Amino acid sequence: MSRSYFLFIALTISLLLIAGCAKKPAPVAAQPAPPPPAPTASLSANPDAIEAGQSTQLTWQTQNATDISITPMGTVEPNGSRSVSPNESTTYRLTAKGPGGTQEATARVTVSAGASAQGAVSETEAQAFARNVKDVFFDYDSYDLRPEATASLQSAAAFLEQHPNLSFTIEGHCDERGSTDYNLALGDKRASAVQDALVKDGVKGTRVRTISYGKEKPFCAESNEQCWQQNRRGHFVLQR
Amino acid sequence: MATSRNIFFERAEWRRPLAWSAVLHGSFFLALFLYAVFVHAPAGDTWGADDTGSAMSATLISRVSIPLPPNPVQTENVLADQSQGLSKSQPKAVEESPQALPIPRLGKKPKPQLRTSKAQPHTPPPEDNTVPYGEGGPAAIPYSTFTLQSMQGGLNLGGTGDFGRLYGWYVDVVRRTISQNWLQYEIDPGIYSAHRVYLTFDILRDGSPANVQIEQSSGVPSLDQSAVRALQRIDSFGPLPAGYRGNRVSVEFWFDYKR
Amino acid sequence: MKRTPFIFSILVFASLADAQQDWIRTGTGLGVEKVRLAAPGLKPANADPALGPLLQTFNTTFWNDLDNAGIFEMVSKSFYPLQTPGSPPEMRLASWANDPANAGMVAFGNLALQGQQCVMLGWLFDVKNSGSPQVLGKTYSDAAGDDGARHLAHRFANDIIYRLGGAINGITLSQIAFISSRSGHKELWLMDYDGAAQHQLTRLNSISLSPRISPDGDRIAFVNFGKGVQLAMFSVELNRTVAFPSFGGTNVTPAWSSDGRKLAFSSSMRGNPNIYVSDASGANLRRITEGPGPDVSPVWNPKTNSQIAFVSGRSGLPQVYIIDADGANLQRMTDTGYAVSPSWSPNGQFLAFAWRRNYGPGAPGGQDIYIMDVATRQWVQLTHDSGLNDFPSWSPDGRHIVYESRHGARSEIWSMLADGSKARALTSSGNNSQPNWSFK
Repeated sequence: MSRSYFLFIALTISLLLIAGCAKKPAPVAAQPAPPPPAPTASLSANPDAIEAGQSTQLTWQTQNATDISITPMGTVEPNGSRSVSPNESTTYRLTAKGPGGTQEATARVTVSAGASAQGAVSETEAQAFARNVKDVFFDYDSYDLRPEATASLQSAAAFLEQHPNLSFTIEGHCDERGSTDYNLALGDKRASAVQDALVKDGVKGTRVRTISYGKEKPFCAESNEQCWQQNRRGHFVLQR
Repeated sequence: MATSRNIFFERAEWRRPLAWSAVLHGSFFLALFLYAVFVHAPAGDTWGADDTGSAMSATLISRVSIPLPPNPVQTENVLADQSQGLSKSQPKAVEESPQALPIPRLGKKPKPQLRTSKAQPHTPPPEDNTVPYGEGGPAAIPYSTFTLQSMQGGLNLGGTGDFGRLYGWYVDVVRRTISQNWLQYEIDPGIYSAHRVYLTFDILRDGSPANVQIEQSSGVPSLDQSAVRALQRIDSFGPLPAGYRGNRVSVEFWFDYKR
Repeated sequence: MKRTPFIFSILVFASLADAQQDWIRTGTGLGVEKVRLAAPGLKPANADPALGPLLQTFNTTFWNDLDNAGIFEMVSKSFYPLQTPGSPPEMRLASWANDPANAGMVAFGNLALQGQQCVMLGWLFDVKNSGSPQVLGKTYSDAAGDDGARHLAHRFANDIIYRLGGAINGITLSQIAFISSRSGHKELWLMDYDGAAQHQLTRLNSISLSPRISPDGDRIAFVNFGKGVQLAMFSVELNRTVAFPSFGGTNVTPAWSSDGRKLAFSSSMRGNPNIYVSDASGANLRRITEGPGPDVSPVWNPKTNSQIAFVSGRSGLPQVYIIDADGANLQRMTDTGYAVSPSWSPNGQFLAFAWRRNYGPGAPGGQDIYIMDVATRQWVQLTHDSGLNDFPSWSPDGRHIVYESRHGARSEIWSMLADGSKARALTSSGNNSQPNWSFK
């Protein structure tokens, strides 16, 4: 009797042990394919400030890229160095495209005119500039050009084409309402809008610089609509 | 007659196993009883009746570590516009049960009794998503605080330690930190009240919670999960007091919920 | 048969072994109470007359630190018992724990001058626990003088806030960078979190804007109008600006990632103002947003560094958007009005920003600071002044917000708790704007 009793207990226990031991192995997750590495790019110009007529050395390096180009030069090899002599200040842009994406790098070369290269701007020319190239004004919180602004810029473009030696800066300004940081970006959009209109009318882009002053350099300080309108402008500054 | 003898033999054999069974059962229960009496009871392990600790209380706030707002002052702000904010939802239309009129009997005029139904359907208060402060109205979610009913936590000490007695301020910090990290909007909005959920976790030497486990569920999965997530959100309660020698403290925390 | 009782007894004894851990059992209940803290101030350790002004400075600073922490309910001084304790033997728990004081905790101690140092002993007592009341007992020392006394008060308050506030560091030693035009130009200034020790950092005599302190506190990135509108870097250690590359166009609103490795900013180097990300040195430039923009004011999610919130006028008036740090997953957070200057809370949960919900000439309401929960997009208005409130910046403990408040032509810097209460001005003269709270 006792033997069968113990046999039964032993059988039960062994069945429980076997059942407990049957663990399924964890499924091995399939390894996803590693993503292709992103390309890297770097570009430098040495020296980065030259006088007209001098040359500078552009040096660049890229990795993991298959399609490398530098504007305005064209397609180039992945790593290299080249000597360039621009006539005016340019920003060289290196674009490296690869299976992992696109990477860009820029280098700016500033060309200062020698005293003999460009004649100083004469006083009459400055006055003519002030007469013909007038500031344009904008609507509240907008960077769209009004119709009269477009017309004014067309005549300004005509004047500028007759005086190709004049370079200038377009400043974007905003009125005192609105937030400091957002107004800097809005001023930039206003200056860009004016620049785009001039370029479309035939003015060469390299003569034009843009900068935004937001609401930091207002033209008047009252808090009424006339003053605010005066401050919402694209302002031209002649470079001498 | 061998079989009859076997039968008699079998029947006789049950006395001894039965005796053993009785003895073992008895010793087991005796051991349990002794354990309960001598290990647990002398340390005062009673639930809720013990008055030695301060009454613990905390509230669900669904704002992480931000002090609660004061009572909103209703100011006359003439410049604020009268709109009630973005997303004011329309109050739920209260359903009226159809008014039962008695069946008109032929010849008799029906009595114009309007019997209003006695049991109004339970309408929850209309969801108020209005903007608080200056436009009137109480603070909207996630500032809402609400009181729980008749929940007095008791400070109970078990085992051989007396952590709660020595470091009551640390227990306060634990309670406040957990209540500040519990976000109400994680709970299913259809739930109005739920049973208690018991959580256990350890506080390690550096004050971080570990081993969060649901000891007893409230039956509402979103409530359980919101309690667990409250603890997961906490990085540390602060290092355990320097005078405490142990490596960890075990905490049992229970949440009650009543919307 | 004889083996079975043995197995049973093993099991019984095994269950007794785990009773050695301490158990505290707590639960949730009514109300939420802040700790009632009494701070009678330090007692002089001896009759040195030089201690008088130092104690005055210490006690005022100490009280303000604890009061502004947002987690204490300070017991009014008129309820204190007459005798100020200077050390534990002088401490009578009953007189503090009972009415009228009814305090939960008391911070006390004494201050002494030892040569060129002032040394204080400070205690924090739990007055409801007569068995073992001490929570903190520490000694601090600092240079003798007004600054040293303030510094001592900040350190003692920090330890109390850390102990009782759930392991979140106090902000008493943090700093706020801001722009002030007191010297005639908009220059970079720095001050303590409570408005003390305001001093000028840059002397560039040109317009400087948007200061952002780096996570390690060592550098401040800002925008300077000296040569075009470019990003600049000020080194606090060297006390001068250090080199930072220039890019084309207008470059504004720098923002540090919380690990100090990346900078996000807005640049129009390619024509449109878009958000760019670069290394902290300016290398490895990547553009994050596309389109006409204008995109400005980026800020990183400090908890994960995988999201950037920014302001964009792509749909008209500026609104707050969130984008992943690799440029994917653009989400719009605000739907109306004029929303600018986002700031992300340290726990990653909230965005504070300035919003004018009714925008346009002559519209009612001003510009106020709002907080929005990022996950649910629910928001709360914090300020209700008629002025223009802008540039909110979170404190490192996530409980305070510093912002700029402008009335007419005057703008000053204010600080408040993150629920809108306890607003107070930190500056009072000159035009002060664009505050930024340090990371620690």
